[in-house]
Formats: sequence, structure tokens, C-alpha cells
Amino acid sequence: MTITAITKTDSGWRLFLRTIIARAYPRIIGQQREKSWIFFETFLPFIATCGYVFVYRAMNAPEDYIGFVIVGGAMTAFWMNVMWSMSAQMYWEKENGNLALYIMAPNPMMAILLGMAIGGMFATTLRALVIIVLGTWFFQVHFAITSFLQLFAIFMLTMTALYGLGMVFASLFLLFGRDAWQVVNLFQEPVYFLSGFYFPVKSFGFAVALIASVLPLTLGIDAMRQLSFASGPALGFISVEIEIIALMILAVMFILLAKYALSVIERKAIEEGTLTDRRR
Amino acid sequence: MDNSAIKTESLGRIYKIRGAKKDEAKERVALLDVNLDIKRGEFFGLLGPNGAGKTTLIKILVTLLAPTSGRAFVAGYDVAKEPQTVRPRINMVSGGESSGYGLLTVRENLWMFGQFYGIDNKTTLKRIDALLDIVGLKDRANTKTSDLSTGLRQKMNVVRGFITDPEVIFLDEPTLGLDVNASRDVRNFVRHWVSEQPQRTMLLTTHYMAEADELCDRVAIINAGKVLACDSPANLKKHLQRDVIFHLDTTPLQNGALSVVKDLPGVRQATHNAVDGKSEIDLILDADNVLGSALSTLTAHGAHVINLQKREPTLEDVFVELVGMSITEAEKVTT
Amino acid sequence: MLKTFRRTFFPAAWLGWQIESNWTDPFLFLVFSILKPIASVMILVFMYNAVSRNAADSPIYSYIYLGNAFYIYVGAVMAGGSYSILDDRERYRSLKYLYIAPINIPVYLLGRAVARFITGTIAVFITLSAGVLFFKVPLNILSINWLMLLAAMILGVACLTFMGIVLGMWTLTLRTEPWFIGEAVAAALYLFSGAIFPITILPTILQPIGFIMPMTYWLELIRRSLLGSGAAAFPTLAGFSDIQLFAILGVITLAFGLIASFAYRYFDKVARDNGMIDAQSNF
Repeated sequence: MTITAITKTDSGWRLFLRTIIARAYPRIIGQQREKSWIFFETFLPFIATCGYVFVYRAMNAPEDYIGFVIVGGAMTAFWMNVMWSMSAQMYWEKENGNLALYIMAPNPMMAILLGMAIGGMFATTLRALVIIVLGTWFFQVHFAITSFLQLFAIFMLTMTALYGLGMVFASLFLLFGRDAWQVVNLFQEPVYFLSGFYFPVKSFGFAVALIASVLPLTLGIDAMRQLSFASGPALGFISVEIEIIALMILAVMFILLAKYALSVIERKAIEEGTLTDRRR
Repeated sequence: MDNSAIKTESLGRIYKIRGAKKDEAKERVALLDVNLDIKRGEFFGLLGPNGAGKTTLIKILVTLLAPTSGRAFVAGYDVAKEPQTVRPRINMVSGGESSGYGLLTVRENLWMFGQFYGIDNKTTLKRIDALLDIVGLKDRANTKTSDLSTGLRQKMNVVRGFITDPEVIFLDEPTLGLDVNASRDVRNFVRHWVSEQPQRTMLLTTHYMAEADELCDRVAIINAGKVLACDSPANLKKHLQRDVIFHLDTTPLQNGALSVVKDLPGVRQATHNAVDGKSEIDLILDADNVLGSALSTLTAHGAHVINLQKREPTLEDVFVELVGMSITEAEKVTT
Repeated sequence: MLKTFRRTFFPAAWLGWQIESNWTDPFLFLVFSILKPIASVMILVFMYNAVSRNAADSPIYSYIYLGNAFYIYVGAVMAGGSYSILDDRERYRSLKYLYIAPINIPVYLLGRAVARFITGTIAVFITLSAGVLFFKVPLNILSINWLMLLAAMILGVACLTFMGIVLGMWTLTLRTEPWFIGEAVAAALYLFSGAIFPITILPTILQPIGFIMPMTYWLELIRRSLLGSGAAAFPTLAGFSDIQLFAILGVITLAFGLIASFAYRYFDKVARDNGMIDAQSNF
């Protein structure tokens, strides 16, 4: 049997796109072939979110706070996707030998990471939707959305900044391996706290809330609440317009930082020989 | 135009040892002053024991590891300064490792890796079918890789390396852990590739001497990070042709007996391996008539000769000549 | 049997401690041990403050705080069983060697849980200390019923260990993304254990689930031992005496012991039938 010759290969944005699709493929197919994730990644997180709802009920909190928890709970899905399905995945790729093959190939690492994230997006979106839909129905949450366009823009900007941040973290895995895994694990609760997943960040006071705003989800969730609930603007940190501008800056900043971090840290990992070192 | 596919100039790599105590070495020299020039179209072998530096050299050449001194060029480009230009032109197959994802089929895994090199779907799938046919894996193309045996997974790994039609391919112990039949299939495939694609270059690392002897145009013998010799297998062995090589099986040797034999005039090298209640001894002598004094020395130390044969030099003998011990003994020292 | 227990338990406990304590330098380990539990409890503190404007005297505040603090054991010990199996199978690839060794796997999981119990205890201590020092939790060290606390801890941790064995063995049979199962189950049980709100807040139809959860009784006993009469502010279990609570928890613990025994046999067979002992789940 003769082997077909390769007459041309893609490069540039075409290779970028091809890589994203190829790396998303194992995720998408895996979720089709093993469906147990549907229970663990959608129903159980919804149950966990309900726990915080009932805390507010026990405190006789205003009903909008229930909505705050539902929105925060839905956004945890994206945080988990970024940190564990994308960044920390680098650790597993190193463990199973695929990282060396990815680095050795001409594809950009950002495309590999995006492919992982997009591949997990179906499960992530389903998880977020289950929490929103079931939470809204179960707890009779009343939304008062003032601008769908602004809401969509904020969501997209938050995601862009968040995934940029995730790529910065992913670069750490190239160098530090298991230590980076533990650091990501360590930061889970502090991020949940500082981003105000379950309460308005206005409670922090201006200075602390400002520092916390370096995390994209802090401003993103705050802005989404302001646009979605009647008491949102009163409990918001800063105006939605300023939060949109800040998220734009964060998005650009994290994407550029990710590009820089991935190339610099890859170079450092190559110098130190940690790309294939499974002891780290 | 430079006809070198792979070139290294005084290449060195030192590893820092993490957590080394006060009295322990803080660094380990993995490669020292390695100079190689491998021409396009060559099937080049890198032969040495475990821990010699073969994999370190390969990792530098495939841009996964930076050298600490010297330079290396693959397909004409500096691996440290221009890795992005090197990468579309190379690929690597490592033995003892899997690639891809267990939940995907063989075809799906191979398609995925093809995409990372920018090959269009149609060409990728055709190449997959043809290559799987050659290695005898076509009937398992739709099997999930988690359901394959180690040998079949390695065959898939081999195909993965060749899907992208690299200018330079690195095979790092590709038959490690494979049974005899699987190893033979991989060697046949590699031989087929070389015959079909004469302008491609292949660098094979192995510690199986027979594999290097069978496949390679030229072989570099490496030990403890240094290249000790580099020539065709025939020329390397010819160097030893003037020497006389005997293989003996004896009853177990007493302690110190071998060192007495080594000190005899005319004995260039003597190595010993204790196996199954007997001793296997290889002697490299200046001339036939030295054998007598070697045998009487062994007998005086209580050893009885069970079997004696004269043989042609092998690459193992070349290694022993250069390093002073067999490859097995060298692995005990370096690991 | 005792020989097998000793041969399994002590190396497993030693291994567990090596893994838990040895991944980084001591300073970072200390930061990790303090930051994680504090951040977790501060979520609840700020939730409370956002609504109640610093009314730390309210009984619900200490209810939430103490429940959340001791719930750390659920994540550490129960979820730890699942995590140990995955660590050995996926990260260290040594589970197959453990399986063919002449050891008892449930006892192995028990041994691995010891280190997690220790790190969990450190986290609980830090959380309680922070509560008393910074977050105005009304805990008086002189009025703690130490005997009751110790008895509740022994029974509760035993129950959590059995639940951890069930979860760990179940995890062994899963292939897709099983890493978060332990945490996901612990997070879901948060809802039904009365950890951070009385189970009477739940819809009536869901309350019976809370009453069969061992953590409900365990946390009530913990609160009673720490707060004394202050724990009676929520009447959910006020009708039960301390002895009755211990008896209920004891029975449930025994039941989970039996369940763990059956679960081990069943899931072990499923895992062997499906070749999961040395599978890799990551994609």
C-alpha cells in the first residue's frame, strides 16, 4: 500500500484552529463515551449550591441573595473548567507523556489549552445551566434583567479574561508540576471568597474589593448581579460601565500575559529539564 | 548547502541535583563535549548503556531540553534559538511510553496528532490507513487504545511518529519492552521506511547491540555522557579484527580469579557474567597463543571449562574494548 | 488477620503522611494549611455579615461556624478515600501492585485516611482558633465537655472512614473525571447534614434525608459538647438526649461498616471485571 505524500501543511491561524479542534476532540468524545460525568458535574454541584441558598434562608436574607448564590454557583462551573480542565490538565499531560509531544509539535500551546477548555465547554455550560434553571425554578428566583446586551458582553469579557488567567496558570504547570497542582488546589477557596461567589463583594469595603477585582470573576459576577436583580445596583461594588471597561483591560492583559508566560516559562522549563521530569 | 541533518558542536548538559546534601554532588554531567555530524539520509545509531546520555541527547535535539554548553542543529536550525523552525521538521518515538488518550481509538489518536502538524484531514486519514497496514494494525484501527496490549500501543506510537513524514525522526529505544515478534515488526517497519524515503534521516538510540548492528549506517558509542567512537558497525568491528575473541563457559569463578587473568600479558580485556550457576567469560586477546595461559590461570583458581568458542567481534566487544567493561556492567556503574 | 492488619495499616499510614506532607517546602505547606480552611469559613462569615450586620451573638452564627469547621473532616476523611484510590491508580500507578500484594485494601484506605485526619485536625484547630480570636465565635474553652467531644469524634470519624471506603471503592469503577467525586459528594451532603443550617430549613419532603445522615447527629453532638446549652437554640434535635444521639450515630456507623464491607466486595468485582484497577481516566 503506498503512503499518500503530504503536499502542504497549515501554519498560522489555520494551524491554530486545527489544533483547537483536534485537542477538543478527545474531551468531547470522552464525554459521549463515558456519561457518568452528567451526574457528578451537573447534579451534585447544583446540590452544593443549594446548601448556600439554605444558609441565606436560615438567616432570613432578602430573596435577591438567593439569586446571588444561584449566579455565583453557576459561575463556579467556569472557574472549575479553567483551573482543572485546562490549567491542571497540563500536569496530567506531563504524567502521561503527551506534553512532550505537544511541545515538540509546531502547534501553539495556547491552541492546545483552548482546545481543552472548549472541549470541556459542553459539560461546563450544562452545569451552569442546570444550576441557573433548576435553581431559579426551585427557589422561585425573580430576575429583573435591565440589559441583555450588557449582560452578554460582561459574560464574554469575563470568560476571555478568565481563560487568559487560566493559561497563565497552565504555564506554571510546565515548570512546577505537582507543586503547581497543590497551589491551584490551595487557591480554590480563597478565589471563591475573594470573587464573592456567594455574597456581594461590596461587603469587603472598597480597598479589598478593588484588590479582589484583579480576579476576572469578581467584577464579572458583580456586574451580572447588578444587571439581573432589583437590588443588584444597590449592592454592587462599582457601576456596570466601569466594570465593563475594567474587564476589557483585564481580558487584554491576561491574554497578553498568557502568551508571554507560556513562551517564557516553556523556555525556562526546557532549560531546567522539567518538561519530561515526572518527579516534579 | 550544508548536508547535515543533525550536527552538534561541543554539546554539553549538566543537571542540577535538587535537595543534595552537603557531602553529595550538586550536579550531574549527562553529556560532555559531544560532537556529531549526521548527514541527510543516514540511519544513525546511538549505542550505550542505560544512563549513558542517549535520551538526554535526543531531548536536546527534539527541543525539549536546552544544552548547558555547545550547540546543536537539526535540519539546519539551531535547536535552542529556533525551536519553532525545527519542530515542523521532526518527530520522535519513545519506547516504553504511551501517547494519546485511552478513550480514543487508534485512528482517532493518530488523526489528532496529525492535526497538530497542520496536515489536512483527508491526507491524514489516508496516511493512517497505509501506515497501520504496514505495521499490521489495520484491523485494530477502531479499537480504543486502552484495550490494546503494550506491544500494539507501541506500534501505534511508532505510526504516530511517521504520520507527519518528518525530515528527521528520532527513535528512542523504540523496541523497549516489546516481545520478539513486536520488536521484529518495528524493525521491519523502520527498515521499510528507510528504503522508501532515502532523503529522510533517522537517529536511533538503543542498548541492544544487535539492533544497531542490523539497522544503522553508522553508530556512535556513548558512555557516561561522552561519545567514545563513531563509525559504521563494520569499521568499528574491523578495528577489533586484529584481536582474538574467545567466549568461555566455566564453573563459577572464585573471587579475584578474573583480575589475575586480566593482568596476564596478551590479555586485552576480560569480562565476566555469572549466569545460572556458571560463569560466562569473554576474552579479547592479542593472539591465539595467549589462550593457554588464560586457561591454566582459570584452572589454577578452581574453574573448570564447560564450553569454549572463538567468535567474530561484535559491537558489544567494541564497547568492552572502549569502555573496559560490558554494557551490563556499565549500567550498574551509571545507574 | 491481625498480622495482615498490621502489615497493611502502618505502612499505609506512613505512606499517607509522606504524601500529605512532602509535596513542597514547609512554609508553603503551612500557608496551605491555614489559608484554605480560613478562606472557606470566611465565605460563610461574610455571607452572614452581608445580611445580619455583624450580629455575632445570634445562635445561628456559632451554628454555622462550628458546623462548617468540623465539616472539614468530611472532606478530609470521607472524600480522602476516593482521592487515595485515584492518587495510587492515576498519579503513582501503584494501585495494581497494591492489589496483588497480600494486604487488605479497606485497611489500606483506613491507613491512608490517618494522615488526612491529622491534616484535617490541623485545619479544624486553625479554623476554631481564628473563630475565637477574630470572628467572635462564643466558644469558652473552660466549658467544653471534652469527654463528649472525644466520644463524638471517635464515632464520627469511624463513620466517615466507612463512608470513605464506600466512596473510594466506587471511584475505582469510574473512568471519567473521577477526581472531584469525593469533593462533589461531600459538597452535596453539606446540604443534608445540618452543617451550616438546621435541616428544618429544607423543604419538608427533603428533611427525612437529613435525618438519616450520620453527620447530622455527629455535628449536633459536637455543638453540644462545645457550646453546652447554647446548642439548644435550634430545636431540630432537641427532643433527643445525648445518649440517644450517640446510640443513633452508633447504629448508623455500624450500618455503614456493613455497607462498606459489601461495597468493597461488589465494587472490587466490578473493577476487576472492567479492568479498572490500572486504568487511566484522564483525557
